[in-house]
Amino acid sequence: MKADPEAAQSMISEDDFLKFQEYFYRKTGIQFENAKRYFVDKRLIERIEATGSQSFRSYFTMLRFQASGEELQRLTNLMTVNETYFFREEYQFECLVKSLLPELTKRRDKGLPIRIWSIPSSSGEEAYSIAIYLLEFWKGLAEWDIEIISSDIDTKILGAARQGIYSARSIQNLPARVLTKYFKRTSEGYQISMELREAVEFTRVNLSEPADTRSYRDFDIVFCRNLLIYFDELSRKTAAETFYDAMRPGGFLCLGHAESMSRISSIYKIRKFPEAIVYQKTLEAR
Amino acid sequence: MALIKIQKPQAEKPAERAHPRDFSGLVAELSHEKPMSRRWAARDLAEYPEATVALVECLKQEPDTSVREVIFTALTHIGHFSAVLGLVEFLHSEDAALRNEAIDALKQMPDEVAPVMHGMLMDANSDVRIFAVNILESLCHPMVESWLIEVIESDPHVNVCATAVDLLGEVGSTAAREALLGLKERFPDEPYVHFAADLALRRIDEG
Repeated sequence: MKADPEAAQSMISEDDFLKFQEYFYRKTGIQFENAKRYFVDKRLIERIEATGSQSFRSYFTMLRFQASGEELQRLTNLMTVNETYFFREEYQFECLVKSLLPELTKRRDKGLPIRIWSIPSSSGEEAYSIAIYLLEFWKGLAEWDIEIISSDIDTKILGAARQGIYSARSIQNLPARVLTKYFKRTSEGYQISMELREAVEFTRVNLSEPADTRSYRDFDIVFCRNLLIYFDELSRKTAAETFYDAMRPGGFLCLGHAESMSRISSIYKIRKFPEAIVYQKTLEAR
Repeated sequence: MALIKIQKPQAEKPAERAHPRDFSGLVAELSHEKPMSRRWAARDLAEYPEATVALVECLKQEPDTSVREVIFTALTHIGHFSAVLGLVEFLHSEDAALRNEAIDALKQMPDEVAPVMHGMLMDANSDVRIFAVNILESLCHPMVESWLIEVIESDPHVNVCATAVDLLGEVGSTAAREALLGLKERFPDEPYVHFAADLALRRIDEG
């Protein structure tokens, strides 16, 4: 049985919204400000309808106490924003190949692969951009192994990332040569090559859940761009501390252009490279 | 050499689990020689409201900044009244970094801080009263203006009042008018207080 959307909308009172806001934050670390009320209500109503719930209250009870957690995951997928594109904030990829990797490889034993973590993965554009940049612009790849892991809380978007099919809008910043070399035109869009799809490991991670992040270790470079801006202060701090333990001493953290670690945590050293500012876990850190 | 997929995220190395990850094991782990183990213990203890005493005690002697940050974050996550009481203790600390971190953490717990705010504003130490006003600076609580009015109406120390009046200039409403005028009378020979009170009054009148 389907709920009437208008009736459902009127069912989500201010108190309901606050309750949901608090619960969702506690479970995912994502804080919706009151200005996002319409966005949140619209998606809640969609799920109330889809699950045949009779009211917000009955849906919320199901969401909270469902043993499998399936509905919470479904709702999380719906609530997270997944828009990105290839070579977004390209200056950081330049920094990667011109400054970060040369510095890292100077002090590293060649037997140990360089590990890069890209989070949130979204539909994979960032992780694949890193892979393309390395293949195209880093000669060191002839001598070093590099591992790229890309994670997201949204299992549906991870599926899309593994499939690697993109719209014209998503690939618009790519040089024609790169597009021809790494993509194949299909009826659904532009599909990235098998070589690249096989080069990136996509995993599901909730950054606010220590049990999820505990096994993420020994990364040399972490890309976490345009995610922390959606977090509140406490979640940002938690994420910064999580990355710290996920990185090797001397590792680098790249944030989005509007984000600054200085306002979040003092445990990182600020490094100003010609291409970008990044944050470093010092070599002495243990 | 190439792009590879060999090391999937793996389980924690057994050597790093010196103690079981139950409450008492995690508390013991707070004394581990490796900062990373101490950070993970603190992070996991955020699930235990009863961990506040152990975490606060640990802060008193923890030398590593990164571990301290995680402990503060854990206490904020716990957000329990006992965590607030532990953090308030640090307002008396001589260690400026520890004190500032405690202030930052307290700012994030408005509902838990509210019941002790009056006590902090009445502390015998004027520095602690200034720190309490510093907390009010970004405490999301509807009582902020009332607490500030209380300070400028009764605090005997000019520096505490000056800190409060600065903030009232930003957040004050017409409710603070009388108290601001009274403050000027209480400190007739303090030009800064007069300047700041007049500025606050002007801003309030301008709406």
